[in-house]
Amino acid sequence: MKFLRTANSIVVFIVILVFIVLLGYSLFSNEEAPKTSPLIGKKAPDFTLNLFDGTDLTLSDLRGKTVLLNFWASWCMPCRQEARALEDSWQRYKDEDVVFIGVNVWDNSSNARSYMNNFGGAYPHGIDPEEEIQVDYGVGGVPETYFINSSGLVRDKFTGPLTEQIIDYFVTRAMEDTDNNIKDENIQ
Amino acid sequence: MRWLSLYFLTLAILGSLIFAEPLLSQEKTLDDQVNEISNSLLCPVCQGQSVAQSNSNLANDMRQVIRKKLQEGQTRDEIVAYFVSTYGETILGAPPAKGANWLLWILPGLTIVFGLFGIGIFLYRAGSGKEIKPDKTEKTESRSDNKYLDKIDEELKDDS
Repeated sequence: MKFLRTANSIVVFIVILVFIVLLGYSLFSNEEAPKTSPLIGKKAPDFTLNLFDGTDLTLSDLRGKTVLLNFWASWCMPCRQEARALEDSWQRYKDEDVVFIGVNVWDNSSNARSYMNNFGGAYPHGIDPEEEIQVDYGVGGVPETYFINSSGLVRDKFTGPLTEQIIDYFVTRAMEDTDNNIKDENIQ
Repeated sequence: MRWLSLYFLTLAILGSLIFAEPLLSQEKTLDDQVNEISNSLLCPVCQGQSVAQSNSNLANDMRQVIRKKLQEGQTRDEIVAYFVSTYGETILGAPPAKGANWLLWILPGLTIVFGLFGIGIFLYRAGSGKEIKPDKTEKTESRSDNKYLDKIDEELKDDS
């Protein structure tokens, strides 16, 4: 019986020890803090869009420019809410090395064209015939916007309707960005 | 004799199941593989549904991407790694065994092992006829501790 009592104590001790070790590991390990997207700081997945004007647009051809990549759908109310801010911001940035791209997802083309007529389509909008872009970028819903720096790295992701202030903030961050900034932020 | 034949029959059934499983897995169709992978991924826009279960547009796109990648010759691990790289580890149906997640993997096993150990100790004590001793620090009232009861005993003796 004395053996059993000793065994009991050892078992309890081991359980407590395992808890403490695992808790300590989880608290003090150098795992990265969760980011808005795992793609941040990584190369933006390349794609070719079929634009509504009939031409094609490939992301890798835009290297050297800051890219705002906005995912939207005609049935999406917050997309309508942000449409004016996107159009107005585009008018301000179009003469700089900034490109706005609209990606229409989970929609049909006639509704999308009607949406662009009503809410503006000054900058390039298109669809991915393979419907893979949204998965490549980890899009969960619309609107979602990715900001890509001139080196082709994803700088930021924003979920929800944009305002001009939000656009200015993230576009400026991406324009001023260097690859080292992103690496430094990811280390912290 | 009957028991012996039953024993060999059971062995034969179990053996055939063990050896048949790898053969069956080799015959998985593309649909089966898509279903298997999409079952292991959680739909990012659904409540507690896997990609296989969800009817959302996104889940549908994800199933198409899985199918395409399998057709391109990618392995299950490569496809899962692709989804983790775009949606993060939260897309996994089962948490990866690292960091604090170890607790989730270890605790159920530990609970079963220690629970069985506890039951074993209880059954051992019950079987050996030894009752669990009361705590020594607990004050129990025995007949000899009570002076009034002792006095009654003495008086009863005197009467007899």
